[in-house]
Amino acid sequence: MATVSLKNLVKKYGQLEVVHSINLEVKDREFIALVGPSGCGKSTSLRMIAGLEDISGGEIHIGDRVVNDLPPRQRNISMVFQSYALYPHMTVAENMGFSLKIAGKSQAEIDAAVAEAARTLSLEALLERRPSQLSGGQRQRVAMGRAIVRNPDVFLFDEPLSNLDAKLRMQMRTEIKKLHSKVQSTVIYVTHDQVEAMTLSDRIVIMRDGHIEQVGTPEEVFQRPRTRFVAGFIGSPTMNLREAVIDDGKLAFANGASLPLPMQFRNAVSVGQKVVFGLRPDDLYPAGHGLHSGEAHDVHTTQVPVSITEPLGNETLVFAEFAGEDWIARMLNPKALHAGDKIDLSFDLSQAHLFDAATEQTLRS
Amino acid sequence: MRGWKPAPHVLLLLPAFIVLAAVVVVPLLLSLYSSFTPFRLTRPDTIYTFIGFRNYVRLLTDMDFWVAFGRTVLLLTFALNLEMLLGLGLALLVEKATRGQRILRTIMMFPMMFSPVLVGFQFKFMFNDNIGVVNNALQSLGLTDIAIPWLIDGQLAFISILIAEIWSSTAVFAIFILAGLMAMPREPLEAAKVDGCTSWQSFRYVTWPFIMPFAYIAMTIRSLDIARAYDIVKIMTDGGPAGRTEILWTMIARTAYSDARMGLANAMAYIAILLSILFTALFFRQLAKARQQIGAEW
Amino acid sequence: MDENTAHRLKGRFLKVGHLIGLFLAMTIICLPGVWIVLSSLRPTVEIMAKPPVWIPRELSFDAYVAMFSGVGQGGIPVLEYFRNSLIISVTSTVIALAVGMAGGYAFARYRFRGKSAIFLGFMLTRTVPGIALSLPLFFVYAKIGIIDTHFGLILAYVALNVPFTVWLIDGFFRQVPRDLAEAAQIDGCTRWQAFWQVEFPLARSGIASAGIFAFLISWNEFALASQLTRSTNSKTLPVGLLDYTAEFTIDWRGMCALAVVMIIPALTLTFIVQKHLVSGLTSGAVKG
Repeated sequence: MATVSLKNLVKKYGQLEVVHSINLEVKDREFIALVGPSGCGKSTSLRMIAGLEDISGGEIHIGDRVVNDLPPRQRNISMVFQSYALYPHMTVAENMGFSLKIAGKSQAEIDAAVAEAARTLSLEALLERRPSQLSGGQRQRVAMGRAIVRNPDVFLFDEPLSNLDAKLRMQMRTEIKKLHSKVQSTVIYVTHDQVEAMTLSDRIVIMRDGHIEQVGTPEEVFQRPRTRFVAGFIGSPTMNLREAVIDDGKLAFANGASLPLPMQFRNAVSVGQKVVFGLRPDDLYPAGHGLHSGEAHDVHTTQVPVSITEPLGNETLVFAEFAGEDWIARMLNPKALHAGDKIDLSFDLSQAHLFDAATEQTLRS
Repeated sequence: MRGWKPAPHVLLLLPAFIVLAAVVVVPLLLSLYSSFTPFRLTRPDTIYTFIGFRNYVRLLTDMDFWVAFGRTVLLLTFALNLEMLLGLGLALLVEKATRGQRILRTIMMFPMMFSPVLVGFQFKFMFNDNIGVVNNALQSLGLTDIAIPWLIDGQLAFISILIAEIWSSTAVFAIFILAGLMAMPREPLEAAKVDGCTSWQSFRYVTWPFIMPFAYIAMTIRSLDIARAYDIVKIMTDGGPAGRTEILWTMIARTAYSDARMGLANAMAYIAILLSILFTALFFRQLAKARQQIGAEW
Repeated sequence: MDENTAHRLKGRFLKVGHLIGLFLAMTIICLPGVWIVLSSLRPTVEIMAKPPVWIPRELSFDAYVAMFSGVGQGGIPVLEYFRNSLIISVTSTVIALAVGMAGGYAFARYRFRGKSAIFLGFMLTRTVPGIALSLPLFFVYAKIGIIDTHFGLILAYVALNVPFTVWLIDGFFRQVPRDLAEAAQIDGCTRWQAFWQVEFPLARSGIASAGIFAFLISWNEFALASQLTRSTNSKTLPVGLLDYTAEFTIDWRGMCALAVVMIIPALTLTFIVQKHLVSGLTSGAVKG
């Protein structure tokens, strides 16, 4: 059983604590992604799980073993590095077979395992080449091949796609997803790209400043973000987040603008409370041009001027001014709009989010 | 002749050519010629007598010469190999140090800065059988109660000289290998750890292939200077006592200046030069191969 | 749990072992020098004492006073030796650098036939052991009359250093992009000016490293110096040290004092030069 659990895991560099006592239970065969901005501690945590960094406090369990002080080679893990870390002086086949060679397996076993992995990743033609003769995407696949050859308990990926260009990244994302369905092991995947996290994982762990902000399935973190940070981090384009103050039945914004208090929050707030109002661009649209135009039931429409538009072909991102700032709205079936045009902007308040301004926690029950 | 302008690179190389020709090439030719004569400094006219290869024949059939030659090769082989190993070890130790690297590197380079004569003197003093610190320490610690004749007994003297030579030149290897270690990318090492390597295996399969070229460069540079051993031996034992530590170069010096048999000495010198060239060529070949490796892959 | 403790202990062991190893290595390196300095400050009685005296009971600079007080009565011409070494080393370094710059630049910037052959030839001259070269040089110098002169040794040392300076400086110039000189020429410089204003300053630190090497080689050289010098007119410090040890076989204190006089410049240079040397050596030799 390849579960991984982190109990009160701490990492300190000298006096500076960078990972603050995090707890996480990774289920057997789960694909879990650690996401967050640079410096949030996700790579550090991954490296602690791998055994490449010392643990300053807490415990790490892999399966039913505590592995705190064990070196990487005794943890039965594989890792794919951001820079691939291939052995330059060995061929692709030797790179992939290296761990088996170290384990003392016979040449026949090694060849068989390597051939199998090569087949899975379409690397057969490249087996005799050196890393310097491969493209970025090919090197990435070799790195993955090296990882799967050993059939470890846990796979660790450390931002494996960061060094690839956008197109290649999309291709490799699909490859990784296919690989997981085929190989069915536990995967812990670190990335700063929330799209990768959303598309690949069974559950997402959002980290910030050494803390875990939220753990949940992609649907959960998208539709029910627990904190303002998660709300703003997940989803592209980013959610509109604006500060407001609760007034009688209203949300009062800057410049005197206001919106009716969404029904789901009527009992969760008190007058005078400072909050942060969040609405995804999907739920903000020129009247009649929205994603859920037909189904919405708590819609508030008001007239606003257009600042700029970003036409994407199938839709246009409209930046409209409300309460003194630009809000991003998604316009389907786009019609041409120009800066200064006045439009009727619909706010689908049933999809709105509200966070306490001080604690940043969601006010949704 | 107007209009003839030598290419710029010719002009630039000219000073180097002239100096080397004047100070090295021409005298070497002279030396070659003189090796075919029974030239003695005390009888200058003997330089005009031509005796062909007689000097060389005499040398190649002389037991003492071969002993000295053999001793020289032995000394160099031991020295270079041990220096490589110790230099590697030293570089690995220093590289792993997390603090004070600068100080460590500075200290590491001290021996290189000392004149070989100075190094020889240090060890001559330390290995002195009466008052040398080595014997004193051994006696104070109770490990022995006799004065070990470090510089008198043939084999012990060889070891003493070897120690001095190693002390002097290990730093050359250490510096180059250290530079290699610091230039090495870290992630393949981490990958090796994850792949199951113990420290030794990581070193053997990942680290060593990378720093090998650096080690060879050090070897080549070192091999240009193998005659430093002359300075050390001259001051420590001067080839004695009774020729027990005579190496090729001290023999040349003795034959030329003490016995004044220049012709014979020049013949010896040429054999010594051939030895030097052999060592250097050997390592240069390795170096070229290793350089190729560096350029192509890492 | 047992596994973890075992590895944790092993980790600690290794760390301690590493520190011990480092300490030992540094001690071995420093010990000879330290011992010599110490001995130069102790009275001869203590040095010769049996059983050996470990903690010095008296320290004095007597040996140095005696040494610097001139020839005879226990003094040796240290100052002359020092002066000779200095003049010869500095001069030969400067000239070797000039020749090396010219040659190195030629190798770095121009293409011509026989490049590798010429380079090989240069390197081969360096393989000639000093003592072997001293034989014919002695003869030639004696005939021309430059035995026992500064000029003679300077000339020899320039030849000794040129192959190395050419090699190193070649490497350094290669790291300076060609376009810079061309850009300077477009900006109005002559070829000569372009070199001095643009290329030289960029290679300057590398050239300095090469200079340091040349200086050290000249300063420490013994084999040639021992034969090509005859008197305090031109004898250098290494020769002086040998003479002294041959002459005063039991005045260990005095010999140590002279050795210290040689150690100090060497150590000072190391401090000044440490960073330079490593980068100079490796970039010039490896990338070049």
